[in-house]
Order: sequence, then C-alpha cells, then structure tokens
Amino acid sequence: MQFQKETSQTIAKRDPALVMRLSRLGSFHQSRLSFMRILTRRMTRENWQFSRPVFEFDAKGVGHAVYCVHTPERIYSLIAFGHDLPPEDRSDRVIAEAWDSTFTLFDGVPDAADIARLRRNIPLQEAGRVSEKELSVSRANRSVRLWAHVVSRLAAGTQPDRSEVDKVGYLMRTTAVYGSGKLGAADREMIADRAECNAPFQIEMLSVFLTRTYVRDLVQHMANLKGGATAATLDADIARSLGIGNSTGLGMAPFLINHPMLFNNWVAAREQAIAIVRNLPAANEAEAQKFCGLLERSIVSADIWYSAHPIQIEKLKQLRHDLCALAHHVAQADLLNAHPWDRLFTWAEVTLAEDAQECLASLMLEPYGALVDHLADQMSDQNAEAFRIDGSMRVAELRSIMENAYGWALDTDWSQPQKCARAWYVSAEKLEPRLGERFEEPIAPYEQPLAPGRDAAALYDALKAADKDAPLAAFLLTHPQHRHSVRRAQIVARAPYAEIRDNTIGSDLMPIDMLRCKLSFFGATHFDPRSDRWVRICMFGNAPYPEELASVQGDDWSYPPAQRGGA
Amino acid sequence: MSHSLNEIAAHAKRAARGTGLSWGMAEEAARATRWLASQDLAGPALLSDVLAKNDGLPHAQVAPVSLNGEWRAPEGDLCPLAVGTTLSDCADQLEPGRPVKMANVSYPLLVLPFAAWAAIHLKQPVRVTYQNVQIDTDGDGIWIDDPHREINTSKAKALTCQIATKRTDGAKLPGLRGTVTPEIWARLDAFAQRTFAPATDASRLLGAGAGVSDND
Repeated sequence: MQFQKETSQTIAKRDPALVMRLSRLGSFHQSRLSFMRILTRRMTRENWQFSRPVFEFDAKGVGHAVYCVHTPERIYSLIAFGHDLPPEDRSDRVIAEAWDSTFTLFDGVPDAADIARLRRNIPLQEAGRVSEKELSVSRANRSVRLWAHVVSRLAAGTQPDRSEVDKVGYLMRTTAVYGSGKLGAADREMIADRAECNAPFQIEMLSVFLTRTYVRDLVQHMANLKGGATAATLDADIARSLGIGNSTGLGMAPFLINHPMLFNNWVAAREQAIAIVRNLPAANEAEAQKFCGLLERSIVSADIWYSAHPIQIEKLKQLRHDLCALAHHVAQADLLNAHPWDRLFTWAEVTLAEDAQECLASLMLEPYGALVDHLADQMSDQNAEAFRIDGSMRVAELRSIMENAYGWALDTDWSQPQKCARAWYVSAEKLEPRLGERFEEPIAPYEQPLAPGRDAAALYDALKAADKDAPLAAFLLTHPQHRHSVRRAQIVARAPYAEIRDNTIGSDLMPIDMLRCKLSFFGATHFDPRSDRWVRICMFGNAPYPEELASVQGDDWSYPPAQRGGA
Repeated sequence: MSHSLNEIAAHAKRAARGTGLSWGMAEEAARATRWLASQDLAGPALLSDVLAKNDGLPHAQVAPVSLNGEWRAPEGDLCPLAVGTTLSDCADQLEPGRPVKMANVSYPLLVLPFAAWAAIHLKQPVRVTYQNVQIDTDGDGIWIDDPHREINTSKAKALTCQIATKRTDGAKLPGLRGTVTPEIWARLDAFAQRTFAPATDASRLLGAGAGVSDND
C-alpha cells in the first residue's frame, strides 16, 4: 500500500500477548467491523426494501406479525409471535419456559402452512422443533417498567420521559438468538455462500434489527388501542434512541474458546485495521474532524451508559475521565502530520486505562472506512482444514510453539487451588453452561474443555518427557488426553489471536470479560453487568429504522447524537 | 427425523465424551459422524454401536500397538475412531504404493471420514477397502462400490487405506441435512447425558450467576 512506501516506519499488529488478556478483551468497544454495522452498511448500499404483510395483535399484545426484507437476490421474513405473559413467568434465564414474544427468521416468505407449523413450535423455543427453512429462533421479554411507561404516556397523548428511556435504552430484550442449526434450523453452511451471510452472525443481527422494528410497532399499537384517538405517536428521536436489549449469561463465554479460528479472525481483522490507521503518515482536515466529532459523541455515550454494577460503575468512572483527558489532549495535538494516529495511540497506551485505549482504537478507524471496511470479508472461518492435526510435526517444534503462545500458562503454578478454583460444566437443565467451584461442588467429572492454559501446561509437561524428534502422531497414540491441546496449539501457531492468553478457571475470573468481548464484535453498547457472569447490553440503539436507512448519512449511528433532541 | 448437521455433531461429541473418549477424540468422532450423515451414510448409528462396544475402555486397548507394519490392537478389535484419528495424523505416510493396512477394525465405515481428511490434505483421492466394500473419496465426494451391502459391517478382518487414482465419473456429493431415527438419537443421548451435571438449586442460582430479578 502507498502509505507503507512513504515511510520507513511500519507498525505491526499489536502483540497477542497484550491483546488477548481478559481485562483487555473485556474492555473492547464496537467498531466499523462490528457485525451490526457490517449489516446496516450492506442494507444501505444495496437498498434493501422492507414490508410488513401481517400485523395482527389484540389489546394484550397477543397475535403475530410478519416482516419481510427484500435483498437483491432473495427475501427473508421475521415471524413474530406476541404472548400474554404473567409477570411471575418472566425470566431472562435460559431455563425460562415462556416469553413476551418469540421469533424466527424464515428463509423466504412463509405461507399459511408455515405459519401454522411455526405457531406450534416457535413459542416453545427449545421445546419446539424447526426446519431448514428457518435460519434463527429467538425470544424477547419486555422491560416491564419502560414498556408500561411508554404505553401509558403515549395512550395519554404525551411522550415518554426521556430520562426513563435513557436509563433502560430498550423496550424489549432478547434472551437468546439461536442460529446455525440449533433446534433443527438451517446450518450456517447452508447459507454461508450467500454474500449477505458471509460476515459472521449476519442472520442473527438481521433478526434483531427486524425485532426492533416490531417492538416499536407493537408498543405504538398497544398505546393506540388503549388511548384511542388521543394517543400520541412515539417521537422519532426517542424511537431511534431505543435499541433492543440483550440479556446474556454464560452460554456465550465458551463460544470464544470453542471457535479459536473464528475468534482469531475477528480479533485479527480489528488489529489489522488498527495497524493500517496507525501507519498512516498524515491525516486530512475532514478525517480529523470526523474523529473529533465521534469522540465527542463517545463522551455522550459514556455519559448515558447506566449500570448499577459496582465493577462497571468504577470502569465507567475511569472511562469518562479518560475520554475527557483524551478530548483535552486531542484539542492540542497535531492530528494531521507525522503519523498522527500512531502518536495519539502511543500516548494513550501510557496515559489511559484499557477501556479508553480500546475505545480510541475503535474511534481511530472511523474516518477510514475505505481502508478498513473490506476486512469484514476476512472475519468468517473458512479454513476447515485447520481442524486436522499435523501428526508429522515433531515434538520439539510443538514445544517451541507452546513456549511462544502459552508462556503465561507455562509460568503458572496450576497446583495452586486459586489458579484452578473454577470448573465449567453443563447442567442437565436445557444444557445451560455454568461455572462452579471445583473444590466445593462435585462438578469436576463434568468439566468442559474450557481451560486451554491449564491443559496446554499439562501437554507441555508430557512433551518434555517425549523424544523431541518423535512425530506427534506417535505421541498422540499414547497420549489421547492431550489431543485437543495439540490441535489448539497448532491452530494458534497459524492464528495468533486464536487463544485467550489468560486463566479461564482462576478464582479471580470475570466471565463478563468474555461476554463483553464477543458482544462488542456484535456491535453492542452500554454493557450493564448483572453479576460477574451475566450482562445486559443494547443492540441497534440509535440505528436507523428500515424506512430511514436510505436517508441516513454515513455509518456512525452507533454513536448517539452530540446534541440530543427531546427532553 | 431430519436434523441439522450441527445438531448431529454436537450430539455425537457429547455421546463420545460420555463413554470416556478424550475431548480431542470426541471432537473428531463428532466431525466423522457429521461427515457420514451428510453423505446419508449410517454415521450416527455406527457411532452408537462403537461407543457401546468400547464404553469406558482405555484408548491403548483399542488403538494400534505400533505404527510400523500392519496396525493391530494389543488384543481384540481396533476402534475405528482410534485408527481414524491416527490415519488422519499420519496422512503424509500415504504414498502411492504404500498403503496403510489394519487388522480387525470394528465398524470400519467410521474410518472413511478420516481418510477423506487425509485426501483433502494430500490433494489426492484416497481409497478405503474392506471385505467386498471399496470406497474412494476426494474429501468432499465419495464413490462407493459395495455389491454385497457390507458397508455397515460390525467388523472388518482387514482394512486397507491407500492413495487412489483420480476419477472422472461423478462423485456422490454431501447434503446439508442428516437423518437420524429417534431410536439412534436416544441411544446417543443416553451416553450424552453422562456429561451433564445434575442441576441443584445452588447451581441454578450461583453457577449461572443469576440472583437479580429479571422482571424489570
């Protein structure tokens, strides 16, 4: 690339040993490469059309709706079922058995027989069964307080209280969005070669995007039924500020460990984008202004980011402080010359905490869509052969790989109880992943392979006793218990961001770090931990609604407006 | 019943783990089962059979004693998953005129997916032969020659795996769904259930980190 010729300075991607620590992964922010933004960019670029052929609900919100999206080559439909859920049955837990609304994303346009079949199955979620015509299955619960507030205000002919809206940020939160073959739905492989499905989780994001429109329409419908002719229409600015909540527990954490190559591709794409921008020798006025404007809006975003969790409250305090320090520094810094972004980032690395560093890293990409957006094409995992173990590799070579990639784990004393205090297991209840205390509960026999560091250290010890010139095939014949660790080590040799380089079973583990990392790649904002292993977020807050996609300028909706309308 | 291939793989992995296979072995047993199911072959059924046969047995008892010469178990039959993973690991040893030979392999069709992955790695088709069955694969498609319907046999006294010549006739290509009978599914489920910890009130609350009311 041109900029690399213009300078002798070439800044590489950041060291995986720095990036792949849990506290940093747990500080990631959404970026241009987040899956929601990849989707909305495509929707705008390809001028996707939307329609709502069915919308039938009674005053209690019981009924169903169909939302169709017309892409250049095909149609997808969200089928939404509304239910009347007694308050005592409302739970975000995976073990819940009833929800306010249930959904499926259908491949094509459903006919009456499809709707009848899905009406028997979708409301049951895990207890139901779907077919390869369905691409996802999901459910959502109302935010009871905000829902009631918005319905009663609109019914009375007035607008909701803006501060109440900001405090929650959504009218409904999804509690699971299942894709990729779950419950009998189509496997990802069935749709992976479609352009609009190429980037990760596009089907799931589309489902949530359409769910947000359904929720807006349903709350208006119920207010209209309640208020009659005097009901007000929800203010467009308030509507746009509302996203879809998501309530996520531990089920999401193992995903990052169970899909090492995919995870590598997400992180590597973002790191590549950061390196591209840091290598720019200069910026122009428009680029600097774009950055400054979005920094200002990031400060607004942090200001309206509400959390009651003690750890998040402290993190937020630091983030707000750091973003102000960043703004102060930026106001005096030369953003135009002499590798401005690298200078800024290097300053941040020694001045700001991880949360603001990662916010800055994402912000720096914003003016450079033309340079970084194409990296979205590299975020899927298409390398099926990486799964195969190369048994011809010699023991000595694997040891060398492990010394490089698992140094932290080889230096850890795994015999100390606090280093392996936890164990991941799967409960018999709806196969819910859980985290337990290894030395206090009888769970070790059920432990899932989610401690790559500890397992790598055990493998390394076994390799020390093996002939260094022996092929791994012979080693594995007598050491089958290390097979998964050999595979991981060979993957990380090719894919340096494949592995979390931190302890995932220590007594001080914060699983919400893993959740936030994954959700930031989705494009989530406003992480609100409910405990150390349970987090609520907002998706598509401030995003355009379908009818607004064509008129929205730029691709920066994930930052709230600097000047907020309403009051 | 029609299942997604991911469902079949997830179920197979848990079942394999439930009978004591290591996690790495279980991952490959799952991929192998999925691969066979995508070819409309009896992967899930044969997996349930071999898991029942070798339930709880140590790897060393059903794996080759040595990789030199013909592969044999110390006594009894070789497990197709144990020889399959080893075959995949040793794919580079397959050279024209240098077949891998195995003696007494149970449920030999389960070796085929591993031969397929060797074929992908070698970029050459691989042939698996046992009894009257001969199957070529280039990794994706298969060519089956099985005049006597012995493909699902419970045991092959001799199995050979070798580089095959490239074929120009059309291969049978994989599909995107698999069919598993409720009975086979239940057999696998019985093994899979062993991997799940019984739920307790404490684990419901603490293990998932709940505790704050959701109803807000």
